[in-house]
Amino acid sequence: MSISVGDKIPSVQVHVLSDDGPKGISTDEIFAGKTVALFGLPGAFTRTCSAKHLPGFIDHADALKAKGIDQIVCISVNDAFVMGAWGKDRGAGDAVMMVADGSANFTKAAGLDVDMSEKGYGVRCRRFSMLVEDGVVKVLNIDAPGTYELTSAEAMLVGL
Amino acid sequence: MTISVGDKMPTIDLSIMTQDGPGGISTDEIFAGKKVAIFGLPGAFTPTCSAQHLPGFVQNADALKAKGIDSIVCLAVNDVFVMGAWGKDQNVGDAVIMVADGSANFTKATGLELDLTERGLGLRCQRFSMVVDDGEVKSLHIDDGVFEMTSAEAMLSEL
Repeated sequence: MSISVGDKIPSVQVHVLSDDGPKGISTDEIFAGKTVALFGLPGAFTRTCSAKHLPGFIDHADALKAKGIDQIVCISVNDAFVMGAWGKDRGAGDAVMMVADGSANFTKAAGLDVDMSEKGYGVRCRRFSMLVEDGVVKVLNIDAPGTYELTSAEAMLVGL
Repeated sequence: MTISVGDKMPTIDLSIMTQDGPGGISTDEIFAGKKVAIFGLPGAFTPTCSAQHLPGFVQNADALKAKGIDSIVCLAVNDVFVMGAWGKDQNVGDAVIMVADGSANFTKATGLELDLTERGLGLRCQRFSMVVDDGEVKSLHIDDGVFEMTSAEAMLSEL
């Protein structure tokens, strides 16, 4: 079952790429005591994500932070190396924290998984966005497969 | 069981990035009637691969082809977008075909899998190199946590 508004973010281990290589980080560390704009997508370097979703959150990072967002987090079922390379390629810098859910621990625990094995992608994450306050889901949007509408930075800004 | 010298390549569908987006390619298309240098590695954009393995094959592509190799193939358990982006990042051009084994079908069928789930990487491929002649494995090397036997330089010295 998918996570819902009012639910706690599951406590799982994910990874970020640090200067010393991949580093484990718990979702508790990411979300505790903060207002977080979280968005997820089916894959790094894919077309919609690359062309619109991530850049939208980078471009609107200041506007989101002005409306009370402490941290913007991008998550995908890719490894830390790929997420790090993608963030660098797109100039994510400090604006967006690139989080690797390489083994889909978060994605499965949140019920946001979609099986794309037949297309050569394995289990991936649906395109979603969430507003999370101190670890509790306040807003959740999920885009239907193949669409990109509800989960954009622009849509989140309107709701804040 | 891991594939061995003398074995035939399994028939598997894989993916490559084309100018029109992701495209399918079968191992039969890759290997039939050709002498192929194939190498595999645990992941695109990882330090050893990025810093040594792939660039070594890019740099030695002409030397390998001068010794009878028709095509050079790099394979990893990454999706086709990631393999395409990595090839572009490393300027492989036409020298190396970047093949995505996104669902690990090839990796599992050849017994070359490496479980890196605990490190957040899921099921991956061991670091290997092979010379494959018309679909038959002629040489096979596997590096376990090191980068030695599977380099382009090592393959060149054997040809």
